[in-house]
Amino acid sequence: MRSLTKSLRKAFISNWLRLVLSAASVAVFLTIWWLLSAYLRADWPFRGVTPSPSTADYIPYWWDVLRALGRSFVTHPVNTGGLFMSEHIFASLKRISIAFALALISAVPLGLLMGRSRNAEALGRPLVELFRPIPPLAWVPIFLVVFKFFWGPIAIVFLGIFFPILLNVMLGARSVDPVLIDAARTLGARRGTIFGKVVFPFTTPYLMTGITVGLGIGWMCIVAAEMLGSVGGGVGYYIFAANNTSQYDLMYAGMVVIGILSVLTTGIAGLIERWLYRWMGMK
Amino acid sequence: MDGNEVVISITRLSKAFTRERGRLIALDDFGLEVREGEFVCLLGPSGCGKTTVLRIVAGLETRSGGSVKVEGKEVRDAGPDRGMVFQEFALFPWRTVRKNIEFGLEVKHVPETNREDVSRKLIELVGLMGFTDAHPRELSGGMKQRVAIARALANDPKVLLMDEPFGSLDAQTRNLMQKELLRIWSASKKTVLFVTHSVEEAVYLADRIVVMTARPGKVREIIDVPLSRPRDRTSREFITIRSKVLGELEEEFEKARAGELSPG
Repeated sequence: MRSLTKSLRKAFISNWLRLVLSAASVAVFLTIWWLLSAYLRADWPFRGVTPSPSTADYIPYWWDVLRALGRSFVTHPVNTGGLFMSEHIFASLKRISIAFALALISAVPLGLLMGRSRNAEALGRPLVELFRPIPPLAWVPIFLVVFKFFWGPIAIVFLGIFFPILLNVMLGARSVDPVLIDAARTLGARRGTIFGKVVFPFTTPYLMTGITVGLGIGWMCIVAAEMLGSVGGGVGYYIFAANNTSQYDLMYAGMVVIGILSVLTTGIAGLIERWLYRWMGMK
Repeated sequence: MDGNEVVISITRLSKAFTRERGRLIALDDFGLEVREGEFVCLLGPSGCGKTTVLRIVAGLETRSGGSVKVEGKEVRDAGPDRGMVFQEFALFPWRTVRKNIEFGLEVKHVPETNREDVSRKLIELVGLMGFTDAHPRELSGGMKQRVAIARALANDPKVLLMDEPFGSLDAQTRNLMQKELLRIWSASKKTVLFVTHSVEEAVYLADRIVVMTARPGKVREIIDVPLSRPRDRTSREFITIRSKVLGELEEEFEKARAGELSPG
């Protein structure tokens, strides 16, 4: 009993310690940011140094960024599409969602097929190896011409999400324990049933890894995809427009929003993953 | 056992694997008949092809020549009329005990209520009451193999093929599972073809023991075990038969080792 309370206390302390460490790293970051902004402006504690106003413009105080973030939800700053931040967020989320759905329904069947059939792999592999290393952003100019301003950005984000899902599902489908397939066969299952009842459930953890990685890359792509223009705004478009009009506090606010959105979607994917494992009986 | 119909009939079975350095002849002119309700053990030195025989009967492996018939029908593919239990348990880790057992019934589109009837009876038969909704990772090795046996029985197969099913269990569990298997076998009246490399296991379980030769595998001798069950592992008769089987097997072990030492 004593050892139980002892280990509980230990666990509590180490949890608490980690929380403090995480908070400390954010605090150090904000402090350095503040010192830099103050130095460029010759504000306290740097009274007396020579200020450099042209550079200072690019680095506003971080509390001004937070203020700008708040402001962008309730006002229409000039030259940012005449939209509230919530509308930009919605536009970006819509793009990510459409691209994600398209990537999922195409990459999962293709990945399963290429993971299980050598012929399918021989067909698909060269194309995958050819196109995978090309950064999705390289396609921006062409895609905007070919797919126009609604589907163009979606197509770029799609590419970012598609390959991580495809490759992970492929890996998962390939690593199905052969004895499980033998067992299913002796229980009367044929090819199609084996795909649905053995290969797909086995591949689910790999799929979730692909989704998490893919969503992260998707957010990286969306900013660039929206920069050259998009229908109905978007956080990437907002960042670009704020930068063009030298409203750097708003630009940073947009960057903070992207970071938060990415953390949120990855977090949701992680939650679904944990729930799925519990439901499927894996840890 | 005489007078019962022949369920498994294997004649002139051969199997050659193509390897990087030429062909490997695993089985050559293997023949065996197993009658309904019989418990037959395949015993032989490692690499003699006993598992290959079982996998060919299961339809998981193709053959190079000869004939394998189950209930008069030539085996072409795996099928639910031949249940199989693997050494690695081969349970689906994302399915509960009940869902593992019902897999074959799901494949056959048996309605849920009927499936539950079958799985409930089988869970009772293999003694896993209270673990119906447990997942495989929560079970011990012996319990996993009970699930695998129940899963194979759920399809009500004509024959039960068992590939060293207790090979990865500790000695205590192994003895217990052998006893349990005989109980399940006498309750379900299945024909069993059982692969093992343990002489004691074969003498404890089998009606007949098929001792195989070293590679290429064929039948060296078939030894009857006329002891009534439950068998006493320490009885004089048990030990006499065990020594006889062991003698046969040791000669093949020697041959297998000589084969390994000589090139090719």
